[in-house]
Amino acid sequence: MSSRRPRSRASTGASRISDEQISDLVAKLQALLPEARLRSSDRMPSSRVLQETCSYIRSLHREVDDLSDRLSELLATSDVSTAQAAIIRSLLM
Amino acid sequence: MAVKRTAPSPPTPRPNPNPNRRAPASGADAASPSKRMLAFHFIRALARIHRSTPVPRRTRTIRRAAYSSMARAANPRRVWSRALLQQMRARRATTRRAAVLRRSVSAAPATPPGGGARSIAGEDESTTTLAALARTAAAAAPHRQAGEPARADALRRLVPGGNEMEYSNLLEETADYVRCLRAQVQLMQGLVDLFSAGR
Repeated sequence: MSSRRPRSRASTGASRISDEQISDLVAKLQALLPEARLRSSDRMPSSRVLQETCSYIRSLHREVDDLSDRLSELLATSDVSTAQAAIIRSLLM
Repeated sequence: MAVKRTAPSPPTPRPNPNPNRRAPASGADAASPSKRMLAFHFIRALARIHRSTPVPRRTRTIRRAAYSSMARAANPRRVWSRALLQQMRARRATTRRAAVLRRSVSAAPATPPGGGARSIAGEDESTTTLAALARTAAAAAPHRQAGEPARADALRRLVPGGNEMEYSNLLEETADYVRCLRAQVQLMQGLVDLFSAGR
């Protein structure tokens, strides 16, 4: 990566994405992180962005598991027709 | 300016299942999944689960339904959504025992794929699936590009279909995957609130 490559993206063979595009993509990922607004707008190093993204994805997976569990409980116990009506109402508005 | 990478196209407007539904007030971000389609797929799956799935298996089934509906509502041109749907289909096709074996095989990538799978699995179909999966796991190049940071390896494991992507593509797919995951979590949280309030 020491040689400076032109920003031509129409190269045949191995597609060379410019470093600028990569850092743009990394910045977009950083913006998705939960504390994106708290952090300064300065860019984090990409390794840190990837690390935070990994833990964020893992925490989202855990939330899906937890919410599935709660949903299965609620499905069994709650009055489903009332809830269904509420859902349909909320979707329509 | 010629763009080699195809930029992610905004999702084409899907046929509205409910003609009375008003358009969302806040303009939906072109890159984020349609929340209505997400709700449509997931709630339909929930209704089916409520009707037919026995209670002990519900958590697992709901979890699978969450990922399936997330993948279905997403842009089908996304690698992760296709990979996720493939995973779901493969899981449904094999028996539960084979699924347990697959997890133990893929957890130990150092094991020679042919010998390990054949010695454990009994049925032919699951042997082929296990061997193929192990081969894919062992052969997947962890570092596709020279400049790719080491953390990308962990990311590849988290994002469905991440092993086969180029680094730049991985970053794009990850962003989309995170957005969809977040929308799915928000949807499920909203449903939990609704069910709790409706008691």
